[in-house]
Amino acid sequence: MKPRAIVAVAAALIVFTFGSAAYGQTDCKALMPASPWGPNDQTGATNRITPAVTKAAAAEIQSGKVVTMSYPLTDGIPLFGSRFTKTILTATTLAPGGALGENQLTYMEDTWLSQSHVGTHLDGLGHIGRKDCYFNQTPMGKFINQNNMTKLGLEHLKPFATRGVLVDMVKVYQQANKFKGNSACKKPCLDKGTVITGADIQAGLKMYNVTLREGDIVIIHTGWGDLFEQFPAQNALYNSGEPGIGKDAATWLISQKIVAVGTDTWAVEVIPGEDPKQAFIVHNMLITDNGIHIIENVRTDLMAAEAAATGRATFFFNMTVPKAVGLTGNFVAIEGIR
Amino acid sequence: MKHRTPASSPWGRRRSRFSRFARRRAVWAGGLAVALALVSGLTPAGAQRPYVIAFANLTEEPGVTVEGTGFTGREVRESFVLAARAYPVEIVYYDNARDDARALANAEAAVARKVDLYIQYHRGDNVAIAEKLKAAGIPILALNYPVPGAPLYSADNPAAGRIAGEALAQFAMRSWRGQPMTAAIIGYLSATADRVPERVQGVAAALAQRLPSLHVTMLDTKGNPAQIGPLLGRFLAGHPTGKLLLAATDDTTALAMKAAVEAGGRVHDSVIVSHGVDRSIHGGMNDRKEIDPSNRGSIVIGSVAFLLDRYGYEVLPLAMRILKGEAMPVRVATRHVLVTASNVFIEYPPYDMN
Repeated sequence: MKPRAIVAVAAALIVFTFGSAAYGQTDCKALMPASPWGPNDQTGATNRITPAVTKAAAAEIQSGKVVTMSYPLTDGIPLFGSRFTKTILTATTLAPGGALGENQLTYMEDTWLSQSHVGTHLDGLGHIGRKDCYFNQTPMGKFINQNNMTKLGLEHLKPFATRGVLVDMVKVYQQANKFKGNSACKKPCLDKGTVITGADIQAGLKMYNVTLREGDIVIIHTGWGDLFEQFPAQNALYNSGEPGIGKDAATWLISQKIVAVGTDTWAVEVIPGEDPKQAFIVHNMLITDNGIHIIENVRTDLMAAEAAATGRATFFFNMTVPKAVGLTGNFVAIEGIR
Repeated sequence: MKHRTPASSPWGRRRSRFSRFARRRAVWAGGLAVALALVSGLTPAGAQRPYVIAFANLTEEPGVTVEGTGFTGREVRESFVLAARAYPVEIVYYDNARDDARALANAEAAVARKVDLYIQYHRGDNVAIAEKLKAAGIPILALNYPVPGAPLYSADNPAAGRIAGEALAQFAMRSWRGQPMTAAIIGYLSATADRVPERVQGVAAALAQRLPSLHVTMLDTKGNPAQIGPLLGRFLAGHPTGKLLLAATDDTTALAMKAAVEAGGRVHDSVIVSHGVDRSIHGGMNDRKEIDPSNRGSIVIGSVAFLLDRYGYEVLPLAMRILKGEAMPVRVATRHVLVTASNVFIEYPPYDMN
């Protein structure tokens, strides 16, 4: 071999040996479990919503009453720093002479400039990762461009047609004589920083004689959403923290093979968190490691009142998630049908 | 294996009757135990009898900072409130208000309340308090200031200062090797009660070790922050050329120093390291404070964490060890680390991004 060739081979070896280390990605298999639905799974926990699960959930529709479980998406609702959701109305045909044809047709439409994680919204599987690793050991660095993800987008989710179970945590804490509210709430609410445990959730289920089933969606009423309803007056307080589930509750919910957990708070998990050095650890546990969705800013007070009035805390969970390709999440509309 | 007692024996009959009674009692007791276990299993956490711990804080006076940092006593107390969520404890809070009589009265109140443990954070006469609590059989954990016979958790000012000095020296050796440079340490240098001089000695020692020929100037504000600008302004005027290694004893001072350096047109010659890592110098995703991942070019290259807003998380595990009767070291020191733009979100994860 000529010296020049030797140098070239050596240079190539150096590039392959050290270059790959320099630009190598995290070993996602060491950071998180694989999906139980296989190496190509991008659907996560909605895999659990089988026809049998949906059919069983349909039995929850007894009176046909529809309970709203979303907050309005409008100017002034609690958003963080740079978050925004803005609409621009196009109504040019309403101008004099703008109507069309003999029938004087006019029309209007909107331009909606919004971030996806605003208002009542779903956290998709591409929302939360550990380093560059996302659900099902996905090295996300390979699957993003400047517009969206090319893996784990909302288009891969199954419809959320399943049973919803409400857990009234306000009642749980009141009955356990450990309720500490916040005076800014007009209705009883748990205070920010309150850690909801697995035992708390089980106590809430027992209150209404409910046993969780695989494929359920658990909705927890903390009362904190009362501050959302007071927007914009209490936005700063609403965003400053929240009651929510801790690691123990997340572990228990994961063991119950649910599809999603939602609350009337902006992060579902307790803020400030249990360990000040961990960031949104419950998000990692649920979404990154188990493909279980989080639904934030859910309006829970109406369903909590309905459950209290009827003694039944289960309902058909009806939620529309657009097939928005490559999105990490989106605002949603939820109705509980009874 | 079953042993039957002959029915003819009166002792046997009595024993047999007793055995039946005992068995029945055992069945009832067992059933009760199972029921209790089931109930307790479904009882929300926290329903078990908690330890009662008293925390007597240095001061709760609004806005008053402690330990020569930007943290307030209220932040210390809030860290206990948050940390306590993870333990079966009820914490009773007292305010020592930097007053010996008040501190003693707090200890007496805690004795009357029969607390299980007393965490004492008081810079004053702790002897009488120690005696009173000892007589009541209440163990003590001392915070920052020794209490006779009690284990101590405290800041390590010399170590913190060395970390700051080391950071400045490393920067100088990496970026300004061979260039003329001088150093200054600025702040309330003579605040002996807050042990700031120990911090200053730590900075100076690290600089002397790494850069033996470096001259270090001490600029004491004597507790008047308004002096930072004039003092540093004169220092800059006296050193119109060369590079400047600047150590601040606290974050507020560091930010004022940065402003003075900018006003003096010496940004490209200066680098600042601070102490504390309070909320004035770091924030969340939306705060854009001085130490921030998006502000890596700042001349404030870091601040040494004093973690007063984490005291609850640091101290309550020690308190639990004492309550469980485990052996405790005489002193446990704060884990001081240099917080920079590179690790600020690891040390202080923000939660304002939703």
